[in-house]
Amino acid sequence: MAGEDLKELADRAVAEITAAADDAALEAARVKYLGRKDGALTEAMKGIAKLPAAEKPAYGAAVNDAKRRIEGALDERGRALRSKALERDLGAEREDMTLPPRRVRVGRLHPISQTVREVSRVFATMGFETVEGPEIEWDYYNFEALNIPPGHPAREKWDTLWMSNPLGDDPSRPILGRTHTSPMQVRIMEQRKPPIRVVIPGRCYRYEATDAIRESIFFQYEGLAIDEKLTMADLKGVLYSFARQIFGSDRKIRFRVDYFPFTEPSAEIAFDCFACEGSDPACRVCGGDGWIEAAGCGMVHPDVLRRVGYDPARYQGFAFGGGIERLAMLRTGAPDIRLFYQNDLRYLEQF
Amino acid sequence: MLIKVPVSWLREYVDITVPIDELALRLHMSSTEVKGVERPWWGDKIRTARVEKLEKHPNADKLQLATVEYGAGSPKTVVTGATNLKEGAIVPYADEGAEIIDGHTGERATLRGKPMRGIKSEGMVLSQKELGLSDEHEGIHLLDSKLPVGALLREVLGETVLALELQPNRPDCLGVVGIAREVAAILATSLREPPLERLGDQPPKGLDVRIEDEQACPRFAAALLTGVRIGPSPAWMQARLIAAGMRPIDNVVDITNYVMLELGQPLHAYDHRKLRGGVLVARQAHRGESLRTLDGLDRLLPEGTLVIADAERALGVAGILGGEDSEIREDTTTVALECASFEPRGIGRTATKLDLRGSSGSAAARRFSWDLSPELVPIALARACKLLREHAGAKVEGVVDRYPNPRRRVSVRMKFSDVPRVMGIDIDRAETLDILRRLQFTAAADGDTLVATPPVVRTDIAIAEDIVEEVGRIAGYERLPIRIPDGQLPLAERHPLEEFRERARDGLAGFGVQEIVSYSLIDPEWLKQLTADGSPIAPEPLRVLNPTTLAQSVARPTLRASLLDAARRNLRNRASVAIFEIAPVYLPRRADLPEERWTIGMLIAGNAQPVKDGETWLTAERRFDVRDLQGIVDGLSDLLDVKTAGDRADAPGLHPGRSIAFAREGRTHMVSGQLDPRVAEKWELPAETFLAEIDLAVWQASSRPPRVAAPPRFPAALRDLAVVVDDATPYAEVERAIRSAAGKDLESVSLLDLYRGPQLGAGKKSFTFRLVLRSQTGTLGEADVDRIIRRVAGRLQQALGASIRE
Repeated sequence: MAGEDLKELADRAVAEITAAADDAALEAARVKYLGRKDGALTEAMKGIAKLPAAEKPAYGAAVNDAKRRIEGALDERGRALRSKALERDLGAEREDMTLPPRRVRVGRLHPISQTVREVSRVFATMGFETVEGPEIEWDYYNFEALNIPPGHPAREKWDTLWMSNPLGDDPSRPILGRTHTSPMQVRIMEQRKPPIRVVIPGRCYRYEATDAIRESIFFQYEGLAIDEKLTMADLKGVLYSFARQIFGSDRKIRFRVDYFPFTEPSAEIAFDCFACEGSDPACRVCGGDGWIEAAGCGMVHPDVLRRVGYDPARYQGFAFGGGIERLAMLRTGAPDIRLFYQNDLRYLEQF
Repeated sequence: MLIKVPVSWLREYVDITVPIDELALRLHMSSTEVKGVERPWWGDKIRTARVEKLEKHPNADKLQLATVEYGAGSPKTVVTGATNLKEGAIVPYADEGAEIIDGHTGERATLRGKPMRGIKSEGMVLSQKELGLSDEHEGIHLLDSKLPVGALLREVLGETVLALELQPNRPDCLGVVGIAREVAAILATSLREPPLERLGDQPPKGLDVRIEDEQACPRFAAALLTGVRIGPSPAWMQARLIAAGMRPIDNVVDITNYVMLELGQPLHAYDHRKLRGGVLVARQAHRGESLRTLDGLDRLLPEGTLVIADAERALGVAGILGGEDSEIREDTTTVALECASFEPRGIGRTATKLDLRGSSGSAAARRFSWDLSPELVPIALARACKLLREHAGAKVEGVVDRYPNPRRRVSVRMKFSDVPRVMGIDIDRAETLDILRRLQFTAAADGDTLVATPPVVRTDIAIAEDIVEEVGRIAGYERLPIRIPDGQLPLAERHPLEEFRERARDGLAGFGVQEIVSYSLIDPEWLKQLTADGSPIAPEPLRVLNPTTLAQSVARPTLRASLLDAARRNLRNRASVAIFEIAPVYLPRRADLPEERWTIGMLIAGNAQPVKDGETWLTAERRFDVRDLQGIVDGLSDLLDVKTAGDRADAPGLHPGRSIAFAREGRTHMVSGQLDPRVAEKWELPAETFLAEIDLAVWQASSRPPRVAAPPRFPAALRDLAVVVDDATPYAEVERAIRSAAGKDLESVSLLDLYRGPQLGAGKKSFTFRLVLRSQTGTLGEADVDRIIRRVAGRLQQALGASIRE
């Protein structure tokens, strides 16, 4: 067979392969031309032996060329047929994808845990380290070290749950459920030297009747920063940044005078209402006055500093404290603080 | 403390140059919390009326017909049950359709005329309660007889009232004049002082005062007044008392209350006839001394009670409550008027002991438990004397005032620069001085030094920071710039336990377990229901001495009861619970605070499918079992890289055959298993309730960051092995034997099947294991694998008497 014939053979084969209608026809064409036994090209290759030596290279090249073309055509047609088959199958198969899936059980963190983390995360952006401390405290840390000696009228602000140790009480050192996270201000200052920036989340206790916004067992967060030049303006900035990160960038902040025995000056901070922005007199979130009271704060009282051995002439700083549940309620629209502790899964699964 | 300040009263002492709402806001921001502005709501149908005629109701003994003229020209007839009406009296009248307070429900309601015993009442004459002035509902509110008839009640009687929540550092604000001082400073207007009687220093004949305890009673003054005529106080005074929340009684008592509301200083009036020896003595109560107080109770006076006595006996509890015997009566003509200063903590302690503290307690005690200035004593006495002369016909016979150790006046010396140093606002000297003077401080500059002396009534000022707050708040906190602190950041510490705890929280939630947070104070009865026989599973807890409820009266020494309670309540409305809590338990320590031991508690019970009812089409229905619980515990331990075990320990309260517990150095750090079904029954829980408790600190201490290696390069060989052992042999022993015999080339061993059956014979079981073998240094050949398996089989036969089936 001459080179010309080989080219014709390849042309014929490619035409047949391209026309193959299905896998069987394609396979038949492959066997016909490339079959090991008596495929047309296989036969043609055998003829090379009979040729004179000088013609062998040209003939060989022609065979290889023909083989490459036929194989290429087989591949291409094969791919085309497979893709067509797949298209047909995809068109036919119809799974109802709206059926319920094989579910996995979903567990969520309690909203208190979520909020505590959020608070820690936000203050961490301003260099505040999260620390924790005892829930059951000495009277000393909860009150006396914070300028609230026994009989001080301000103790009425913190109605106290007093505790008794079954292994024996010392009447000179009463213990109590801490009424706020503020005792940790003192503990931290006793342990560390300035500069200090900490935030303390934790559980607190009050002797108090519960209602939709008050619980006798609840969570607070406390902040404390001590350095040489911190001012009320820094306090305002930190809480402003907190409000922005929790409730959104266009929050406004309002400071008004307040009183705590362990800060001087003292203030109460309120954020403008993220829900109504002061425009809804019947707003469920702010009660209509456009402001949400969020935390008590102030400059740490010099007597408190002195008591832990800091020199108030050198060091000054601020402290703040607010309710975790209140933040959680504001962020999620939770209607009643008591629901957080009833652990009805139908409620908790929504957070 | 909540006080109510009628605006008309405030205006007597200060010019209010802004609308009341703006005043309220500025007070709120700079001075004292404003709870609200209360305005008269009476509509056009509530007017003054004159009773023209009173007749008996023809059909009812207890009712009267009153004909009232209210300016419309046509008198109306109303039916009333009140007995205090007289012809000619001026009363509040509501026409049909008016809005009033319903005397029974206390709610606002629209008045509808309705027949009473056959006669239609065409309107209504009103009590204080129906006007919303007080709870007084016995009689009709009789008005000042000089009021015109037919006037709108809101115009002649309506008061706008500021409701203020005071803080205990500001006793000076307990009176209207104190608030006026704040308003004057805020609005930069001037303050008018209340008109006072000029009192000579002539002590009265027949009245003296004596202080026996100068610490408890630093100042004691009294005035003797004769010619007193007891009667009602003037209508304007009654109206103000009512607006401020007090009930008018008679002119003398009303005047003492009026002065208290005006200046903050309580006073007490005695019928001078009852004073034996003509003396008032401030002394400690004698042991066993008792007294019938104004509220009609016979009280045994507790130790440490300061009393006001005459020469023979206690007349009243000092600063808290007067006695019945010496109270003012209708025929009193000579009055001894006490005005004194008491040590606030002593008052607070005694009021607590007598249960007269707080909002329901005595108005005097609440004020005296704050640090009122002793300087108020002569001012309040002079003010009361003036009013008694004007409105009770009294003649002031003289005054005695004992003040043995006058309090030193505080003067603060500081730098002007302290204001910007603390506030971070630039407030200059001139403004600082101006603000302090507006607040009635004496303020002067001495070079860079500011010398400030507060007005005598301000007992809250002691240090520079107090002055800074005064200046800052009146300048306005809104002037504070927003700054983010700069300067050196502190070095932060690691908190391994807290970090570990949060990983555990995330892990459990990731495994599909819902977190709960329950009360840390629980019912002590719960702790007796955690074992079948009621024996405790935890140490005796700390007790709350003054619990709000028995259900929250001990600090929980275990999380278990809280979990059981949460599960019980949820299983009433769902088929399945999988919950966990991470919280401290409180373990008492001798002479110390309790240990707060962080614990993980988890509980699963009910349907195991993660679906709600009726959505089980892909998953066969089954219930949680003990292996589900173990899976969660193992998974958590795996996730947290925990390597613990320790010694086997008891698991009280759990099913003895389906539970496991481990201890280390005597401290149980993990219990897990099925709840004792007898305990489950007590809690109305399914018998198959599973729970685990983990001591977080022990787990954390045993957690090691994983040492990681690159993924294996050589192929693994798999071999399955059936091991028949005695039924009593625990799985863990078999697995341990396999691991130790197989050596370092054993990558993993897993249990494929557990079989008990007739082929094995009684008392036997068969474990089918899959061993994955892999070498770190090359491909294991058949011969290597066979050698390992022979070693394993040999060990199992030798150590456990096992037989191996291929």
